[in-house]
Amino acid sequence: MNLTQGAGGGSARPANSARVVIVDDHAIFRSGLKADLDPSIQVVGEAATVEQAIAVIAQQRPDVVLLDVHLPGGLGGGGREVIAGSAALLSSTRFLALSVSDAAEDVVAVIRAGARGYVTKTISGAEITDAVFRVAGGDAVFSPRLAGFVLDAFGTAPADIADDELDKLSARELEVMRLIARGYSYKEVAKELFISIKTVETHVSAVLRKLQLSSRHELTKWAAERRLL
Amino acid sequence: MTTLPVRPPLARSSDRVIAGVCSGLAAHLGWPVRNVRLGMVLACFAGGAGLVFYAWLWIMVPTADEAVRRNARRPASPIAPAVSRPAQGTAADAGSPAGAPGPVPDGAGVPPGAPWFRAHGMRYGKEILLGCGLLLVAGIMIAQLLGVDVSLGTLIPAAAVLGGASIAWMQLDETRRAGLVDKTKADQAGGWGRLAAGLALVVAGVLVMVSGSGSWEQTWLALLASVAVLGGVVLVLLPWALKFWRDLEAERAGRIRETERAEIAAHLHDSVLQTLALIQRRAGNEHDVVRLARAQERELRGWLFQDPGRESGQLSDRIKAVAGEVEDLLGNAVEVVTVGDAPMTEAYEALVQASREAMLNASRHGGGTVSVYLEASDGLAEIFIKDRGPGFELGDVPADRLGIRESIIGRMKRHGGSAAILSTGDGTEVRLRLPAAAEHAEGKS
Repeated sequence: MNLTQGAGGGSARPANSARVVIVDDHAIFRSGLKADLDPSIQVVGEAATVEQAIAVIAQQRPDVVLLDVHLPGGLGGGGREVIAGSAALLSSTRFLALSVSDAAEDVVAVIRAGARGYVTKTISGAEITDAVFRVAGGDAVFSPRLAGFVLDAFGTAPADIADDELDKLSARELEVMRLIARGYSYKEVAKELFISIKTVETHVSAVLRKLQLSSRHELTKWAAERRLL
Repeated sequence: MTTLPVRPPLARSSDRVIAGVCSGLAAHLGWPVRNVRLGMVLACFAGGAGLVFYAWLWIMVPTADEAVRRNARRPASPIAPAVSRPAQGTAADAGSPAGAPGPVPDGAGVPPGAPWFRAHGMRYGKEILLGCGLLLVAGIMIAQLLGVDVSLGTLIPAAAVLGGASIAWMQLDETRRAGLVDKTKADQAGGWGRLAAGLALVVAGVLVMVSGSGSWEQTWLALLASVAVLGGVVLVLLPWALKFWRDLEAERAGRIRETERAEIAAHLHDSVLQTLALIQRRAGNEHDVVRLARAQERELRGWLFQDPGRESGQLSDRIKAVAGEVEDLLGNAVEVVTVGDAPMTEAYEALVQASREAMLNASRHGGGTVSVYLEASDGLAEIFIKDRGPGFELGDVPADRLGIRESIIGRMKRHGGSAAILSTGDGTEVRLRLPAAAEHAEGKS
């Protein structure tokens, strides 16, 4: 995986440790992930179903939840349902979605439910460690694929002034998304656009907000129709 | 096969007077339709043999449409024939006892039939029938006028029964068609109407015949009683019929599920199980294992998320296919992100080939994951290929190495596009750009 923001985002880390809960129904994947994570990340709980996850998160109140999109239990909503069930904690606990699925439907659903980022399960230990710290610091983690989805969903034309602010990306946000989709790290994006890393992070967070809050119902429809990828 | 190698299968023709039996038989035997019809009518006087034979064929022989459909519905999948074969068998069984001298009909193809006659029969079949009926009535009236004692009391009810029955029987073909093929509710509504009309006529006729008196009062009472009885019978049989119908539906759904499951199992066996076996045998070689796993993942993803309604052969499909090839060839992952899409053209094929070359370079020299980003709109296609290798200086590449100069830069220029290569110590990015408008100019040169 080329989730490469780690190359330069280190300076913005808010803390040098993070408490994490891993939610995934495959025990092999959970133990593998635990072994891969940096020692500075403390795994305080694990869960395999929707119910377990909601209980563990409420009890542990971790900084970050690594959340599988597809989970057994609950009403069948998977990761989305876990986020909805932990809505009261959303201000202190951040969710980072993990999935083997690249389907736009899954990605968009879990982001709109409140996740701050989306990465695929083939990601390396160093990359996921960086993503955890980034999410813990309140930033968004966009993989190239998620950036591609955003560009596809919002369209590649910049917003007019007349447009509803939430329904379109600004020219700058489009540039940032394009570079991320091309595999650029935040640092490289900043260098390419002659802006600071902090500004890149601000743009990405703004895009995440639009993705979550846009009332454009085409967004959901688009995701449902786009089965491939 | 007998003397005639190509004989149209026995099927009831759409060129029909009553049920298309005669014309179907004629087409099958290669005789003139009129002779067959005449023969059938004559046979009716031989103790009603023609009538019985006709009715038998009517029931047993499928219509031409049905025969064609049955043939067409034979599935192409290697798993499904096991399911559909019984139906084929019954079709042949239904055809063979029809007593036709000749090969057993296999339900394939439409009897050729004379087109002029078919059109004629289709248009006037009902009118001829009606005319015959009116002539019959006229004949009876004339006979009465001439003083012959015709007992109208038995004749009218008999005619009613006959008419009702034929209406209901004509229905047989219609409902079969509607029920089996598209279940159009509109068609069925008409069918129900006809069934009701036929039933009413038959019931009324039978009642009048049985009561024999012809007095309205008595008939009315009898009608009421019979309707009540019919209602009772329906009430008793309805749950049973409903259950039967539901069982039938459940069985059909189960069969579909079973077919789907078999298809999935076959696919998993051919792909995933084979790959897992290979991985176990190559467990020592990490490179091979990763490569196998990547290739299998790609294949499985394509199969799972492929949208059957989506047209294939688009630019993004080609780019993904090429990325897969490069992955298989060199073992490094190639991550493709696409935004928008465009149909393939000759110029886009050049773009695909140029990006393939760039991916190969990136995978070979970058040594890690390669990021590919495609953005295509109506007017422009752009592809970015990025790696995180040590980078290189274009000027340092020996002049005899054609990979970058010819396969990427030269090729893009020839097709009206452009290529830029940006290399730093942190990696290399190849940027390919092809305006759609350039295609046509290029196509001529």
